[in-house]
Amino acid sequence: MAPSAQGLAVKEKSTLDTVQDALTALAGRYRTDEVLTSVKHIPALEAQYRPMPSWVHPDLAEAYRARGIEKLYSHQAAAADMAHEGKNVVVVTPTASGKTLCYNLPVLNAVLEDPDTRALYLFPTKALAQDQLAELHEMAQRLGDCFGTFTYDGDTPADAREAIRERGHVILTNPDMLHTGILPHHTKWMRLFENLRYIVMDELHTYRGVFGSHLANVLRRLARIADFYGSKPQFICSSATIANPAELARRLTEREVATVEESGAPAAEKVFVFYNPPVVNRNLGIRRSCLNESARVAKELLSRKLQTIVFANSRLHTEVLLTYLQQTNPPAAGGPQPIRGYRGGYLPGERREIERGLREGRVRGVVATNALELGIDIGSLDACVMAGYAGSIASTWQRAGRAGRRSGTSCAILVASSSPLDQYIVQHPDYFFGRSAEQACIQPDNLEILVNHLKCAAFELPIGPREQFGSADIQELCARLAEAGYLHRSGESWHWVQDAYPADTVSLRSVSSDNFVIVNTRGGDVSNPEVIGEVDFSSALTTVHPKAIYLHQGQQYHVDRLDFDQRKAYVRPVDTDYYTDAVRYTQVRVLDPAEEERIAGPAVRAHGDVLVRSQVIGFKKIKFFTNENVGDGKLELPENEMHTTAFWITLERGLLDSLPFPLSDRQSGIFGLLHALESMAALLLMCDRRDIGTAVGERPGGASSEAAWQDAPAAIRNPSEMQEFFEPNLYLYDAYPGGIGFSEPLFRACELLLRKTRELIEGCPCESGCPSCVGPAGEKSERVKEAALAILACLCAQRDEAQETSRLRRRG
Amino acid sequence: MSASTHDRYARLTALRPARRLDTPPCEEAGIPAGFMPDVPEGAEHLARLLGAEPRRNRFGEHLALRRWFPGPAVTSSEITPPEGTIDDSLLRLLAPSAPKEAADPRQWLFLDTETTGLAGGSGTYAFLVGLAWWDAGGLEVEQLFLREHSEEHSLLVALSERLAERPVLVTFNGKTFDWPLLETRYRMTRSIPLPAPRAHLDFLHPARNLWRAQLGSVRLAELERHVLSWNRGTDVMSELIPSIYFDFLRGGPPAPLIPIFRHNQMDLQGLAALACRVLSLLADPVQQGRDALEVWGVSRICERRGDAARARTFYERSVALDLPPEADRAARRSLALLAKRGGDFSRAVELWNGLAGSSRAGLEAYEQLAVHYEHHERQPQRAAAVVRQALAELRKAARLGTLAPSACERHKAQFERRLARLDRKVGRMFPEEGSGRGVSP
Repeated sequence: MAPSAQGLAVKEKSTLDTVQDALTALAGRYRTDEVLTSVKHIPALEAQYRPMPSWVHPDLAEAYRARGIEKLYSHQAAAADMAHEGKNVVVVTPTASGKTLCYNLPVLNAVLEDPDTRALYLFPTKALAQDQLAELHEMAQRLGDCFGTFTYDGDTPADAREAIRERGHVILTNPDMLHTGILPHHTKWMRLFENLRYIVMDELHTYRGVFGSHLANVLRRLARIADFYGSKPQFICSSATIANPAELARRLTEREVATVEESGAPAAEKVFVFYNPPVVNRNLGIRRSCLNESARVAKELLSRKLQTIVFANSRLHTEVLLTYLQQTNPPAAGGPQPIRGYRGGYLPGERREIERGLREGRVRGVVATNALELGIDIGSLDACVMAGYAGSIASTWQRAGRAGRRSGTSCAILVASSSPLDQYIVQHPDYFFGRSAEQACIQPDNLEILVNHLKCAAFELPIGPREQFGSADIQELCARLAEAGYLHRSGESWHWVQDAYPADTVSLRSVSSDNFVIVNTRGGDVSNPEVIGEVDFSSALTTVHPKAIYLHQGQQYHVDRLDFDQRKAYVRPVDTDYYTDAVRYTQVRVLDPAEEERIAGPAVRAHGDVLVRSQVIGFKKIKFFTNENVGDGKLELPENEMHTTAFWITLERGLLDSLPFPLSDRQSGIFGLLHALESMAALLLMCDRRDIGTAVGERPGGASSEAAWQDAPAAIRNPSEMQEFFEPNLYLYDAYPGGIGFSEPLFRACELLLRKTRELIEGCPCESGCPSCVGPAGEKSERVKEAALAILACLCAQRDEAQETSRLRRRG
Repeated sequence: MSASTHDRYARLTALRPARRLDTPPCEEAGIPAGFMPDVPEGAEHLARLLGAEPRRNRFGEHLALRRWFPGPAVTSSEITPPEGTIDDSLLRLLAPSAPKEAADPRQWLFLDTETTGLAGGSGTYAFLVGLAWWDAGGLEVEQLFLREHSEEHSLLVALSERLAERPVLVTFNGKTFDWPLLETRYRMTRSIPLPAPRAHLDFLHPARNLWRAQLGSVRLAELERHVLSWNRGTDVMSELIPSIYFDFLRGGPPAPLIPIFRHNQMDLQGLAALACRVLSLLADPVQQGRDALEVWGVSRICERRGDAARARTFYERSVALDLPPEADRAARRSLALLAKRGGDFSRAVELWNGLAGSSRAGLEAYEQLAVHYEHHERQPQRAAAVVRQALAELRKAARLGTLAPSACERHKAQFERRLARLDRKVGRMFPEEGSGRGVSP
């Protein structure tokens, strides 16, 4: 063997060995399989190449050749071919697989063939657009500056805007800017809209829930305007791996979209480790702190000279980890600081310097929030440590991808927190490494969202008599908007008749514009109040009620006063060792079941429209880390009604009667099961727990409810008085007025949801319930975990039994 | 719409209790909600009230109102329409790139719009387009009005025809507001070509130069009152105009529109009068200027348009009169720079010496003097002396707190760098005079 090749081989081997050594040092003291729940070795993948397609303009092919790209990966060729044929396409690929070429190639080719061609690129963040701009500028230079490419966002100076409108062939922007800055001023963008041929949407999986439902409506508006100017643009999208990319793309664009899913990109060798901090109190299910363990892991890696990136889920955690790692890795005498932090709030110059330091190896370790997750070039690091699950498989891979983007062995270590999601992931590696079950769901026909965009649409172009806008009957809606003074009918069309500008009051990040503003009074210095954030109406009562601890960017604030009429919460910064959890009494009434079906149990699964009535009646103070209840308080707040959609399971009498438990255990089991169901629903839907509400109610939950409502607050305070449910409904409802599209997918995935929930509870090492599975122990009975599992066993009984039962009712 | 969707919408709107929706103005006006006739009931009534008449073209119909205002009665000051073409040098001051025909006031079309909002964007309409031109020694005003959104095409065609007759657009803030808004309206039709004015004279910009220092704001009504000594009397508040129009659209009575027509007429008269006043001031500021500030304003316009000779003349004139201190400093500062550029160094030095002090202009004067002595007079010692004086001035300002500490530091650093350089230069030129800092014998 030649000495050089031998040297290389030794180095390769030693990276793997180094990681192995580090893992041994970390887990040696414990039962290894309990701490290292998975050590997955992912072998390198070879590239699948295809020749540059013959339709590519020779100048463009030459420009790519000059960048070292002579042939394409198979998925790039497939996607570019489809786009060239005029199909809408979504490319589903892992990080660093060259997805930008999938859209740049057909777009630039079209621009070269017809210099009038225009394209609009949408990125979820400004940073991503900036990153793409650099690449497009380079291509423009190689092509003799025959096309113009610009970012257009809130930072674009006013005097540059006109030039961009006239000369930009490729405009890079974000959904919010499209919504408030471009569509309402479409006459100024006439050249773009008359010649708009491509719309590129990157990171499609981020457009889910509220944001995605809004974007779908923004795209409806865009389609109307394109139609007005006589263009019919085609979509090229890219998405991280999720279960339903084609469906998401179809619902967002309301067009048929073809998918390309087989990646032809090469991948380097990688070791992916799940690290579960050791249990310190088996009874309460308490584990060592995720932060401390992440710091230990990072320290081991750094001490073995592996360049490491550490991801934390909040700014506060970033700072804690940074302090710790800087203490244990002091700079060499007179040398630069080897460990740096990186998060939103750092100045751009500082960020660029850190990025350069990482690429050049001067910076050995960086502690970051998701600010570094997407797009930013920091070269290839050796190791990635994640302090806590990022919330979705897609973003976990994105974070892991920051180590070893192109070649060489790298490792990624996920350190689990005690949250149910984290615990499920590290104890069920197959869920993570297998075929994705994560669904990106949207509900573009959410009436509140749709009506807001209908107003914007009317401002942009009068609404004609035969127009379509989603599934709504827009003539009827327009008539109602006219009654409310927003529109006026003239001739056959509806015109905007307000002097206000509708897009300004519609935020794409929340359902309604009726928000509470959080005002920091800095403890009495009322002369200089500062607005630190907003919460939307539906979550205001639970997060900013009087005496609540409101967490904002890692800082705790005490809510001194809630001004309900003015929609303001006055807070001051405090430092406490507890957080608050609102005690809410919630009642759900089924208005209109869309589908119902009997399942094993005996039980029924269903989804449909519901009315959620809730009132915050008090709060608990919960101590950090131990989750002890250290006090409570009563509140008198207005009750709130919300019309939304829900998925629910009815436990029939036969099921409950078959359980060998007394009443209190059964009731606890029902609530414990619901807690676990909520966690797993959030996992499958890639959403936050706050996006889903839960409630238990009696079937049919109808007429007697008014009296029950009056009695309920008392019952909540004294659980022993709680009446027994005869046939309880377990509701998971969309926590947004009008629903955001979670209920029907949950109904369809009911079996999967139940199976995952069972795996979660069964796999949890606690004895009788903990926050990671059925919720904090304490108020619930000791056999809560047992009871929940018994109910699940009935629900998950043989599938064939369920198949015998027939569909009760199906509405179109 | 099915009953169920109907209910859902009703429930939806009932969700959020406390915050009021914008109160539908139709309720205030006592008009039943949802009452939407295709042509407003009041339209004919309106025509009668105003003496307006429907105008028809191939795109449909809109309302038009004509009225002639005698010239001298436009304002109480002695303003008459300009006679003959205006001098080319005057035109250059207003619009440097305007073609010759812009100098002929008979080609001018005054324009002012009333709109459904101020934010712009494709959902803002110009529902009343006011036009005016000189005629028979007075001002002929024509107002085009949309009784319905659907009449917009016919209104825009009429506007194009007027603009073809008189292709020089004259506005107040029309470059930023009225004309871009009308461009949007033309584009929204997808069929009526956008007319191209031969020139666009926007009197907001000269008005700013001439009167902002005195008045603080240069709103048209403000200028009328203080510059033209003309008081409008009762006038509708601009903020109310959109909602008055919306009320009418929804079937409200037409009478509340009348003040808007009148407001628009006054805007056009005010604009025409203002244009005359600006022209006469620019033509002869010494005779026409009411005070030193107006003369100063004219010099600023001349300077901006590159007419250095006239700028110098009028700056000299304005400093000879009694300018307020701040304007006086600014005028002298500009004058010194113009004098320097014109090679009149003695006047420049004189002005700088007068300015030198701890104000911004004063510090700049020190700097200019230092540059002048160093490079022009080639007397670095003298330049250094000026810089030392500036530094002393800065120390005093720092002690008294008359200058912000950060500005103080910045200037100090600049002057110290300059002084160090000058000292080195002096050392090289006159080694024996080196200030005793270790010059070897």
